[in-house]
Amino acid sequence: MFKAITEYFEKSWLLIFSAFIFGLLLALTNSAWSGKIEQNKAGKLSGLMSTLITDANKFEVVMPAVKIELSKGKFATTDIYKAVAGDKTVGFCFKAEGTGFADKIELVIAVDAAFEKILGFNVLASSETPGFGDKIAKSFYNDQYKGAPAEMLNLVKKGDDKIIDNEIVAISGATVSSTAVVTIFNHYIEPVKQQLKQKGIIK
Amino acid sequence: MAANSMTAKQAVVGGLWTEVPVLRLVLGMCPTLAVTASVKPALTMGLSVLFVLFCSNIVVSLMRNLLKPHLRILMFTLTIATFVTIADLFLKAFMPEMSEVLGPYVGLIIVNCIIIARAEACASKNGIFISAVDAISMGVGFTIVLCLLASVRELISAGTIFGVQIMWKSFVPWVAMSLPVGAFITLGLMLGLVNLLTGKKS
Repeated sequence: MFKAITEYFEKSWLLIFSAFIFGLLLALTNSAWSGKIEQNKAGKLSGLMSTLITDANKFEVVMPAVKIELSKGKFATTDIYKAVAGDKTVGFCFKAEGTGFADKIELVIAVDAAFEKILGFNVLASSETPGFGDKIAKSFYNDQYKGAPAEMLNLVKKGDDKIIDNEIVAISGATVSSTAVVTIFNHYIEPVKQQLKQKGIIK
Repeated sequence: MAANSMTAKQAVVGGLWTEVPVLRLVLGMCPTLAVTASVKPALTMGLSVLFVLFCSNIVVSLMRNLLKPHLRILMFTLTIATFVTIADLFLKAFMPEMSEVLGPYVGLIIVNCIIIARAEACASKNGIFISAVDAISMGVGFTIVLCLLASVRELISAGTIFGVQIMWKSFVPWVAMSLPVGAFITLGLMLGLVNLLTGKKS
């Protein structure tokens, strides 16, 4: 037994020692930079929220880690932020995610204070195809959401993208990415609204 | 020439010309094709690979006399993964936008054949100085090729280099060059050109 243990350490001491040293190095690096990384994430989210609700002078988390069902048995959590101007609530913002053409799409969605109209969205992270799917961030597509009702949205292949209603006109050549954004909205809007109602934050 | 008798001059010439990773050894194809749509991410990827290659070559060279055959690949991977994670954390902390553009490809440096090949062919058989020179020349060679490829693609697909407008106003960008097809076309032409210059036959 003792011989077997000795042999084990003789054969693997370098690996054990290196794993310890490298682990320590990574822990030190992570502790040195994790604050900056978190600050970058928060800064980006705050910046994107500010561009969606320009009146707001601060954003406060009103409901942390709200659970959203993305598909059968698959859940995501998101924080719901209240946009405040002075002492008045001017809207709500939250992160939303879904599967796009290439990878996960992460959005920041803004809705008005009464949760009746969408104020818009910004793309937080996306790996959609350059020149096609990445057009979800372009104004000709994105602007269709500004003022649209905060309810179920439908994607249509043809239509007038200047008419603001619950029909979103798909990007030519990027139907999957267009569908993904509409699906993300449909997964999040209603549950977020219901949870805010339950908490008495909106009527 | 045996790898363990490598000189500094051979290491420099190898990394920058005779064994330049992408064009002569055809290694590191994944980042070459994925991040060369424009010059900034290509340069960042090149420098990240250079950092990982340099650090891992130094560490592997230091531990070369302790490496047992059954632990070699495991130790190489552990070393490379550590420095890749540090590079990834650095980008997330100080270049967050670039980190998002590069996406999973920074993490994928772990499986970059160039790095593991240099650890095996050079660092595990040579001293620190030769290993460092080899890492720098290989890393610089890789970065130059990535930047050349990205310059051609960015110029044709957007009319810019480093985001600065180069082409005339009426120039019509060819968006396909920013897509994977553009990467294959440009890389194929570059490989063909290098083979022509060096007289390499199939």
